[in-house]
Amino acid sequence: MNFNDFGIDSASLAGSLENRLQAARKAGFSHVMISAADIVGHPVSTSAGVDAILKSGLRVTGLEALRDFEGLTGKMHEYKVDVAKSMLTLCHRIGGRLLLTEASASVHAMVDPDKIAADLRKLAFLALPMGIRIAFKGLSTSRTVKNFAQASEVVALANCPNLGVAIDAFDVISAEVPLDDLETVFAQQIYLVQLSDFMLQEVRSSEDEVSSASHFRVFPGEGAHSDQLSKFVLKLEEIGYFGDYSFDVYNSDYLQMPSEAIALRARRAADWLGETVLRRTLPVPNMERLRALRPC
Amino acid sequence: MSNVTDRESVPESPNPIGMDGIEFIEFTTSKPQALGGVLERMGFRPVARHRSREVELYRQGTMNVVVNSQPTDIPRTVVPVERPIISAIALRVRDADAAFRRALDLGAWEIPPRAQALELNIPGIHGVGESLIYFVDRYDEFSIFDIDFRAIPGVDPNPPAIADLNFFGIVQYVGLERTDDWTEFYVQLFGFTPIPDDVRFGIMPKGLLLQSPCRKFFLQLIEPDGAAQYAPMEEHLQRIGFGTPDVLAATAEFEKRGIEFVSTDKVHTSERGALTKAVLGGVMFELVHADPNSRMWRP
Repeated sequence: MNFNDFGIDSASLAGSLENRLQAARKAGFSHVMISAADIVGHPVSTSAGVDAILKSGLRVTGLEALRDFEGLTGKMHEYKVDVAKSMLTLCHRIGGRLLLTEASASVHAMVDPDKIAADLRKLAFLALPMGIRIAFKGLSTSRTVKNFAQASEVVALANCPNLGVAIDAFDVISAEVPLDDLETVFAQQIYLVQLSDFMLQEVRSSEDEVSSASHFRVFPGEGAHSDQLSKFVLKLEEIGYFGDYSFDVYNSDYLQMPSEAIALRARRAADWLGETVLRRTLPVPNMERLRALRPC
Repeated sequence: MSNVTDRESVPESPNPIGMDGIEFIEFTTSKPQALGGVLERMGFRPVARHRSREVELYRQGTMNVVVNSQPTDIPRTVVPVERPIISAIALRVRDADAAFRRALDLGAWEIPPRAQALELNIPGIHGVGESLIYFVDRYDEFSIFDIDFRAIPGVDPNPPAIADLNFFGIVQYVGLERTDDWTEFYVQLFGFTPIPDDVRFGIMPKGLLLQSPCRKFFLQLIEPDGAAQYAPMEEHLQRIGFGTPDVLAATAEFEKRGIEFVSTDKVHTSERGALTKAVLGGVMFELVHADPNSRMWRP
């Protein structure tokens, strides 16, 4: 576990795409999660957005987010397949190897697990020739796949080698999910872990949850749940997760602050996690040597 | 009456698209004559030209090889460059349209139709890298070549094969840890079967072998090793393998025709197989000992 395991979401930072990428790079990050809107919303052109990412020197953690894909039929399904193809093409252009897909919150979506699994399987198949993996994430507002445990069940049912789950720490902590539930998920099936903390002591209502989720997240170590967050990360290490962590901090205050300052806060969070929380999982070289020298 | 599958789980046929071998393999290059020269030394003869595109058909025995030098008009397809690239495989299937629709339902990417007036629209999907996979169901009494191609006058349209050469398979280079992904692709779309590691053909032992449901064709998936592991992901169809009942007779004939074979400690011609030296920037062919009647692996 080291600093390079942590990346930042471009959506956490304000300013032009180029500025945000530069701020992430200057703060020492080696990879960045890109929102599709950052590229297609580039003031010059989509190609200019793609070029900015390719020239940034940053690896792309993944592209986010495909929404409301599964469970649709007829024309709506065809339309969503087109949207998915467009996002996969964009992901491929920026050298991304992962597309974050959020569980459908649409009231039009069917709730049959077999249909959901079949659609996700089709999505994974669309992504396969490009070498892109699909990270499926439960959403509390979804009718069918509300959390990582349910996401993991659907992914197992779909059974495709490039289909896995994404886990958002916010969802786990705000819903007070027991950490032992993580043991039901195969570590190899987890493709991405998103990390953020939040200020509210507890999430009492769904309004609280929605406003916290979209406005008042903070970086790990800055909020009211450092303890739960560190236990969450340690649990993931324990079950053998070794993929990327990304800070998905959606905070309307942060979007009014210079991206350099926010990227540095993210850097502090990565340092805190790497040095304080995960210290126990790192072998300390000198200690190892001393242990080896000590007579048994 | 309701569909039987509504009530009982009926497994899909092991050959879901009725695959029946390979109709053609296509190379794309901006220097078609140079590749044509190599193909002729390998025993192929130019027999026909496409009516509207810069495409030539070479044939020997049962094998059709198409050389395409037409500038591309579809994204994510091979742009002709000097170095020839294997740009398409055409599968013989029971019903091309049904196979195509089934592939799209599963999540394949279709290629837009590009036939001119009165030409056949051959349905196809994107395969590995920039390559395409076509579905062809007209290969018995008359073929796609009878319609879209004009025969070259005075040329035998069915030149015999050297040493009974036939298509054995294609080697596909895949990215690191991508064997499972591509296996899933070929198993689901066409009904290929991975075969056990101890079943080997030829002299190039690496990678995973997948057998076609018609038992006439293999795909061999090879991941990078050594320093190539750290290079950006590069995936493509690397070479064609030809089956022959007599590898040594075939290599002797090819050597007479000016084809050179790799001869090192690890890789050299034997009764089991042979590998031609790369020409034109990377074109190579593999020979594999295979009895046409009993060569395939059976579970």
